[in-house]
Amino acid sequence: MLEWLTTDPLNGIIITITFFISVIIGRYLRMKRAAPGNKGKLVDPRIKILFLFILIISITLMKHWYFPTGITVICTLFALKSKIFQNFSRKMIFPVILAFFIVVIQGLTYGTNKINYGIPLYSEGLDSGFLIFARVIAAASMGILLLSNTPENEITETMRWYRVPGTMLDISSLMSRYIKAFSTEAKKMKWAQESRCGFSKRSGFSNKMHDVASITGALITRALVRAELVYRAMLSRGWKHDRSFVSHQPLDHNDLLMGFVFASGIMILLGIDRML
Amino acid sequence: MHISDGILEPEWIFFWYAISILFIALGLRIINKRIKADPVYLPRIALIGAVVFVISVWHIPVPVTGSSSHPVGTPFASIIIGPFAAVVISSIALFFQAFIAHGGLTTIGANTFSMGIAGAFGGYFVYRLLKNISPLWISAGMAGLAGSMLTYMTTALQLALSLNPGNVIYYWKLYSLGFIPTQLPLAFAEFAFTAYVIKYISETKGMENIQSGCTLDRFTITALMLMVSIISIIAIGAYIGYPGGTNMAGIDSTVEAMAAPAASPGGIGVRLMSVLGEPLGFALVGITGGLFTGYFWSELRRKN
Repeated sequence: MLEWLTTDPLNGIIITITFFISVIIGRYLRMKRAAPGNKGKLVDPRIKILFLFILIISITLMKHWYFPTGITVICTLFALKSKIFQNFSRKMIFPVILAFFIVVIQGLTYGTNKINYGIPLYSEGLDSGFLIFARVIAAASMGILLLSNTPENEITETMRWYRVPGTMLDISSLMSRYIKAFSTEAKKMKWAQESRCGFSKRSGFSNKMHDVASITGALITRALVRAELVYRAMLSRGWKHDRSFVSHQPLDHNDLLMGFVFASGIMILLGIDRML
Repeated sequence: MHISDGILEPEWIFFWYAISILFIALGLRIINKRIKADPVYLPRIALIGAVVFVISVWHIPVPVTGSSSHPVGTPFASIIIGPFAAVVISSIALFFQAFIAHGGLTTIGANTFSMGIAGAFGGYFVYRLLKNISPLWISAGMAGLAGSMLTYMTTALQLALSLNPGNVIYYWKLYSLGFIPTQLPLAFAEFAFTAYVIKYISETKGMENIQSGCTLDRFTITALMLMVSIISIIAIGAYIGYPGGTNMAGIDSTVEAMAAPAASPGGIGVRLMSVLGEPLGFALVGITGGLFTGYFWSELRRKN
């Protein structure tokens, strides 16, 4: 019964050491996080973007469905824990539809081994379709989770660090302001139009399109005039385009370490996937 | 419909990024030149960018499917600010849309190519082509329709190239057909949307890029209506046939058996198709036949 004790002890020693050291580190991290005054450190958006890009590329290189599925499960648990699950699942609808469409097309057409489940399906197509499905869901859930708690303007400014042309960033920052104003104004105008019998359920497609067009057209014409006036006012107060107002701090050691850990983790995961 | 992260293979991610960056760089050059001449151009394009973002996430009613969907918006933008600037703003809009999981971060290059380059340039080309021979709403609407169709056909091509590199043409057709139930009605919605909005803007505020068109004659209206009807019949027929197990064989065999039973395998048509490939071959035949018929139409009618 105890013959395992008399054979090679290496595996037993390794597993014991790693387990207990991990237990100690885990307890220490938990205590540090729970310490009073610790608000938690946010990951630098520069690291976040880089990490996300590398991770998504790695996910698309994975050959086994269970690794991307594991990433999806972890992200879903994080979303549940962070109480953003509703927002998370709402954003997942679009990628899931697209991924499902690919599974159907691949399953119906790709491969040679036919399986009959009422409709003719191909096993190779289903395998490849499910792999793509798993990759899409994993990449989307990672993206949603990482980007949902980062303000757009912060990421736009991060792009300056990545040497994205200044004009593009100026357009982006103006656009992000206009998008919010536009959406709010469009909603108000739609309500106003609805209160005046616009968008009626009885009206046909042509009338509805006319309503949409009149709102959009009026918004654009009004907004163009307003945007030009505001911009001229900004110029008269010394604002110059292509000028950065945020000076980026160099990445500190902790951020660099975190980036290194993230990148190594991804590489190890990809390596394991390829070895299996 | 934008391609999400995780679908494209890495080599295609970088390929589409490379092409899109080229167009974006050209667009930025043009924008910078315009800003130097007229500083107010910057908020104008940013505003149109915001419009592209908002309308491409703004659901509008789509007939036939009974549901709602969103237009592409870049053909509309290209009419107002030009196609190169439209490429730049569409890439920015796609970047923002990645925040709401509409598209993705690694697929911005591919989506910019389909929506910004194919959609904007295709739409703008159609608009310029029809501007002088049709009313403004027709040329703008056709730009919207063509831009929308081109966007989704390019998306289908991108999917086929990345997912099924061994049989690209077959899967391109297949993905395009898969998009039809939602995207064909959507293309018509984009037609209506672009036509209405451009007409509204031109009536309320004269814009430098928008000029009033001219009226359509009966011949053009009939030709356009025939084109739309025949395309709809073919598309619906192919789509109904596919789930029925026809495996997208099309009407090749019917045509061969009934219209050209004695066609020589070494004939010019067959040889042309083998050299060009079927889609290009058919396009060439369509262009030649259309130009010939259109050119000699009046003469043929007079003789009859």
